[in-house]
Amino acid sequence: YISFLPQGAYSLKLAQVWAITKEEEVFPYPEISNEELEEINQFVGPVEKFFSEEVDSKRIDQDAKIPPETLKGLKSLGLFGMQIPEEYGGLGLSNTMYARLGEIISLDGSVAVTLAAHQAIGLKGILIAGTDEQKAKYLPKLASGEHIAAFCLTEPGSGSDAASIQSRATMSEDGKSFLLNGSKVWISNGGLADIFTVFARTEAVDNDGTKKDKISAFIVERAFGGVTNGKPEDKLGIRGSNTCEVHFENTKVPVENVIGEVGGGFKVAMNILNSGRFSMGSASAGMIKKLIEMTAEYACTRKQFNKKLSDFGLIQEKFTLMAVKAYVMESMAYLTAGMMDRPGVPDCSVEAAMVKVFSSEGAWICVSEALQVLGGLGYMKDYPYERYLRDSRILLIFEGTNEILRMYIALTGMQYAGKILTGKIKEIKKGNVGVALEIFVNQFRDSMGRKVDLGLVGKDGVVHPSLEESGKKLEENIYYFGAAVEGLLRRFGKTIVDEQLVLKRVADVSINLYAMTAAISRASRSISIGLRNHDHEVLLTNIFCTEAYFKNNYVMAEIEKYAAENLDDSIKKVAQQVLEKRAYICSHPLERTF
Amino acid sequence: MNCVRKLLLARELSAGRGILRQAAPGRDLPWLQGSSCAQRFWPVSVRSIRSSAALSRSELIPSARGDKEKDRGSRDGSLVPFDELFERAHEGDRTKAAFSRAVELFCQRDIRRRGHVEFIKAALRKMPEFGVERELDVYNKILDVFPKEVFVPRNFIQRMFNHYPRQQECGIHVLEQMENYGIMPDKQTKFLLLQIFGKKSHPVRKYQRLMYWFPRFKHVNPYPIPAALPRDPVDLARISLQRIAADLSAKITVYQMSLTDVSDAGKEITQPHIVGIQSPDQQELLAHHNPARPVFVEGPFPLWLKKTCVYYYVLRGEPLPPEEKEETIDSERNFFYPLHLDLDLDRGPWDDEEFYVDEVEEGPIFAMCMAGAGDQATLAKWILGLQQTNPILSQTPVVFHLKPGPQELQAASDSESGEEEIPQSWHAKQEL
Repeated sequence: YISFLPQGAYSLKLAQVWAITKEEEVFPYPEISNEELEEINQFVGPVEKFFSEEVDSKRIDQDAKIPPETLKGLKSLGLFGMQIPEEYGGLGLSNTMYARLGEIISLDGSVAVTLAAHQAIGLKGILIAGTDEQKAKYLPKLASGEHIAAFCLTEPGSGSDAASIQSRATMSEDGKSFLLNGSKVWISNGGLADIFTVFARTEAVDNDGTKKDKISAFIVERAFGGVTNGKPEDKLGIRGSNTCEVHFENTKVPVENVIGEVGGGFKVAMNILNSGRFSMGSASAGMIKKLIEMTAEYACTRKQFNKKLSDFGLIQEKFTLMAVKAYVMESMAYLTAGMMDRPGVPDCSVEAAMVKVFSSEGAWICVSEALQVLGGLGYMKDYPYERYLRDSRILLIFEGTNEILRMYIALTGMQYAGKILTGKIKEIKKGNVGVALEIFVNQFRDSMGRKVDLGLVGKDGVVHPSLEESGKKLEENIYYFGAAVEGLLRRFGKTIVDEQLVLKRVADVSINLYAMTAAISRASRSISIGLRNHDHEVLLTNIFCTEAYFKNNYVMAEIEKYAAENLDDSIKKVAQQVLEKRAYICSHPLERTF
Repeated sequence: MNCVRKLLLARELSAGRGILRQAAPGRDLPWLQGSSCAQRFWPVSVRSIRSSAALSRSELIPSARGDKEKDRGSRDGSLVPFDELFERAHEGDRTKAAFSRAVELFCQRDIRRRGHVEFIKAALRKMPEFGVERELDVYNKILDVFPKEVFVPRNFIQRMFNHYPRQQECGIHVLEQMENYGIMPDKQTKFLLLQIFGKKSHPVRKYQRLMYWFPRFKHVNPYPIPAALPRDPVDLARISLQRIAADLSAKITVYQMSLTDVSDAGKEITQPHIVGIQSPDQQELLAHHNPARPVFVEGPFPLWLKKTCVYYYVLRGEPLPPEEKEETIDSERNFFYPLHLDLDLDRGPWDDEEFYVDEVEEGPIFAMCMAGAGDQATLAKWILGLQQTNPILSQTPVVFHLKPGPQELQAASDSESGEEEIPQSWHAKQEL
């Protein structure tokens, strides 16, 4: 493990951003076997055909409903049970294969969200924490799509605060069942679902014998009675997906339907949320690839001033941007999926969060640029771009807003780094001359233009020589990021939790570093095995790495500065003044005093 | 003719007073308008040898006025003709129209505007009486009294020295009074001053200084008070409470409107108004208050809104004991990211931006109110009203710590004791 580990600690080779994954995990880029590839290609064909021929996205968006025959088609393709093991009637796909199908499914936002709410979160609880009996009872029907699942966590109040959960499950006197009462809001599939994963407060006895309210997870069937739902919400995008309130009134839930332990719902919820995100990378990439095809068609045929649109530099730039983003998203998504498919239960939640943040923001920008290529036409409802724009907006919000995930990425990393560095920082603070001197010498050497060599490139390196420049940039960024993180820990210690502006920068650099790693790793593999158009990949990787390198340097320069210099002070002050008056407080430019 | 006689009389008087004044200057000061005027007075009288007839005369009249002040009561007719002008003008009401009439009267009386400096000073003095001290056009009207173009310097020597100092001083006086009442001059003022005194004269410079500072200070108060305060005590209480609370989510409740009624028994019942304010944060604080500990009603505390003083009462708790203050962060609170890090490192001194402040601990304030009467029965009604939204109050003992406020002094002597305490658990329902 190493990554940003600071100066002198490079006895281990470079791994990856937060030292959460090892170098050998990201280099070389994960591969699947030929059999698996064949298997997934067998799935891809029919699904692609189904989506291009039978899914009428425009109609789904207009009617705000997915027609039953489309749902039936999805069910017959087995898409409701992609990750459910074959023994329970699912397709038993690995994460990588799931990501591959996600690329196609994402061509319609409503369908993608309906499927994701069903299997990425709705039934995930049963899949990862359920007992064998629960799996045997529920998974077959869920896999076939006979039953649809929904995930009921959010309540009025706030989505990420466990304290806002007011639903309550009280144990009956015989101890055989719970009575569930409460309301949940914004439940995807809430109106369609037959099986709900519901989180509610239960009374649990603590280790020290005191009674305490804790959250438990339950499998609730609509058939248990007392389950009602409100009318579907009218939304900006993903209009075909069903989102509504779900109410539980004295719903009797047998004790066997508790997922995990009573009082262990918090962990279950966290695990479900963390595991559901990685697929957003491939989904976004799939969408952008489709958009590139559509807009390129337009740009190469439309003429202006006797020139094709595609001859204009500013239009070309947009296509490059889309290609780079799609390439990096894909690289990150399949790297993460590949790591998750490794034997054992590797925790890739931070990587998944990074994929989610990067790809959702990239998708939003790319869709917007694609629309821009068409100009006024893109704005019309006759073309699908405005729908893609509306649909992709949700990516920044659901499954944990990007702001929240940035905090997660940065804080998880900080916690990890802190554990390693606490001893050293304490030595410095105590005034240990030796350690302080070492730091001083290192900083002096850095200022003299130190060559960073983490062994990524060069003779024994894992990066292909064509990508040497990018590799070096990554190395340099990682090295200085390590120093920056150490500086932050020294400056803020555990109070870094409250420094959201700083944490956001830490998260941004981490995401960029992971993205660079993924792109370099993938491009190296492509060159080495001679994939078609691998020179194009090299170009994309070099463009991305150079841009990210400069962005990282800028952000890290900000991180090293104090609040007065990196504008944090002023930013906070403006916000404070605006929020105090709850309005824009400047006088109107036409205002006079005399 | 009367006027001339008076002037002669004044000259006689002042001739005698010259010595007197030097002998006991302090005695003369009270009737002088401000110290700047007093300082100016002596040099002018000395200079009067070389000054014009108009100047010496104009010096005489204030001194005559001094005599008048001294002898007020003994003499019937006023020595100062200009005060009289105003007295005559206001036969009806003391209004803006009457004031303008007086000014017009003066302007019509003499084409040369003889005695305009004295008239202007008198007019400035009379302005508050007529309630026109904040009227810009009245100031412009007064400036219009000055003869135009006479005092504009024509050559460099005049420009170098203080040309027509008394007139310039008088012009400055007008501007000073405007300044004191916060009246911003306008284009008309500037036009008049330029016409009367010319560019770079002292009044014009004064005008420029006013125009430099006034706009800059116009919005310097971040918490402005409306120009006219509402008459209705309930509305007044509303804006006062919002001003203290400084929380936009705070909700104002009128618990009781003021009312005077005659009951069946023929007794007159007066019901004072009660207006309270409470923010959601305060409600939450109160909801988490331990009912075993009493809460206190305290007051009255004064709040000044310009020249009006209002009084308010607070409902507060005692500072929390340290063992209850510690907030434990629930590790199972946030589904997405850790709310605290398990690290043994603290914040460094360079990023610690908090000043050392010697903090005095105060208890939480749960609500505030303003009432038409400060007696305990009235405030009890407030507490009763608060119970509607804060059910915990009905289980919490409420202790009244009331100081005798000015309102109580006016009202009655029913609560002489400075501090009333009701130690037993107090339920408003029993009380009423």
